[in-house]
Amino acid sequence: MSDLWPPRILVFQCQYSVYSETEREAISSQLPPHVKHVQVPCSGRISPLFVLNAIQGGVDGVLICGCVPEKCHFKAGNLGARRQLDAFRAFLSYLGVEEERVRFAWIDPAERGRVLQEIAALEEALASLGQASRLVTRVPLQPQGERPWAS
Amino acid sequence: MGELTQAIREHAARLLQEGRVDVVIGFKTGTVPLRAQPAFITEPEQAAELVHNSFCQNNLASYLTRRPDTERIGIICRGCESRAVHVLVSEHQHDREGLYVIGVPCAGIIDRHKIERQGELDLETVEVWEEGEEVIVALDDGEQRYARAEVLDDACLRCAHPQPTDADLLLADLPDNGASVDRWAAVDAFESLPPAERFARFAQEAERCIRCYACREACPTCYCTECFVDHNNPRWCESMVTAGGTHAWHVIRAFHQAGRCVSCGACERACPMEIKMTYLTDKLNYDMAQQYGFEPGMSDDATPPFAAFTLDDADRFVR
Repeated sequence: MSDLWPPRILVFQCQYSVYSETEREAISSQLPPHVKHVQVPCSGRISPLFVLNAIQGGVDGVLICGCVPEKCHFKAGNLGARRQLDAFRAFLSYLGVEEERVRFAWIDPAERGRVLQEIAALEEALASLGQASRLVTRVPLQPQGERPWAS
Repeated sequence: MGELTQAIREHAARLLQEGRVDVVIGFKTGTVPLRAQPAFITEPEQAAELVHNSFCQNNLASYLTRRPDTERIGIICRGCESRAVHVLVSEHQHDREGLYVIGVPCAGIIDRHKIERQGELDLETVEVWEEGEEVIVALDDGEQRYARAEVLDDACLRCAHPQPTDADLLLADLPDNGASVDRWAAVDAFESLPPAERFARFAQEAERCIRCYACREACPTCYCTECFVDHNNPRWCESMVTAGGTHAWHVIRAFHQAGRCVSCGACERACPMEIKMTYLTDKLNYDMAQQYGFEPGMSDDATPPFAAFTLDDADRFVR
């Protein structure tokens, strides 16, 4: 199990919540290999199916970043996402999947480095939970594409 | 023939004769005992085929979205069916003007599996009827009696509103027993288990699925022209009968019902593998009721909960 550490993290992020050049640069260059970053047009686009797919595909944690309420580029996309994804997280927890594996961060475009902070916070929370097993049905590739039996 | 069946036939024939509706959707006697068959009555003379009993397993509202838009439909509704009609109207799937809701009282649906299990019978060969609070199964050698409460469908045991809501014509009055039943019994029982046990049970149920989608076809509020599982470019989830595919189907099917499920239990009755599903949709309904005070199908102009988001929603994860 320990060779699958550090935890895999998938970040869904609204493209308007990383507006500044420096922030974009930081995200594209500073993210470690176990963190995958997916930009979406708006947090309202994040279907619960995407989150489920990520969990089934073997990520240990999902971070969902959207703009703070009232600052949505599309006026209310984040509010729709909030209600739906919150209900979905509660539903996953009802099915026995640890609630802490799905984390939300409402980001003000003016906040610098917030995404990296949130990823660190999620990593910390995942450290106590360990590797995801429930609902995981597709065995993921090891970090860096290592194949333990091939060496 | 009961008084109620008589009244249903008379009103159906009258509505067709007067030209108020083009079709009346109801039930007729099926070819096997314990299962009545949906009937589409278009001529007044055919109305004599209609029956109403506790063996009507389907939710008739699921046919509304499959009929032509221009057709005026008379539909015989129990409590759950009338709520499904209101959900469909509120989601603009049918004009309320084109519908004539004939409300009938409901004493609950008999779960044929419970009778089959109790008596170990081959029900294809016997006759079944009901008398008051008893269900009588005729065997080759005599007959077997069951108390109705013992063989009632689980969804009906938890039914809070057997009385049709907002019907155009109500054929009998029935008290609302909302206060006397424990609607969330299945949810509470599941929720009291530790998480690992909950997941194990969910997996055990879901993995029996053969993905025939009978639950989807039976459901009145599953009306998408293309379901997410049928979509293959891009493919949103595994379409095979694998653990991944069945988990995804059961999670997302239930989630699409959040705050829309009318708790009729038609999905479970349609399931050939007898998979429990209502504990999932009930949980989502429970959440929607607790957080946003939402009750599916109680009015024609309610906005579905996920469309009714506001700025003041609970800020549980906003930091």
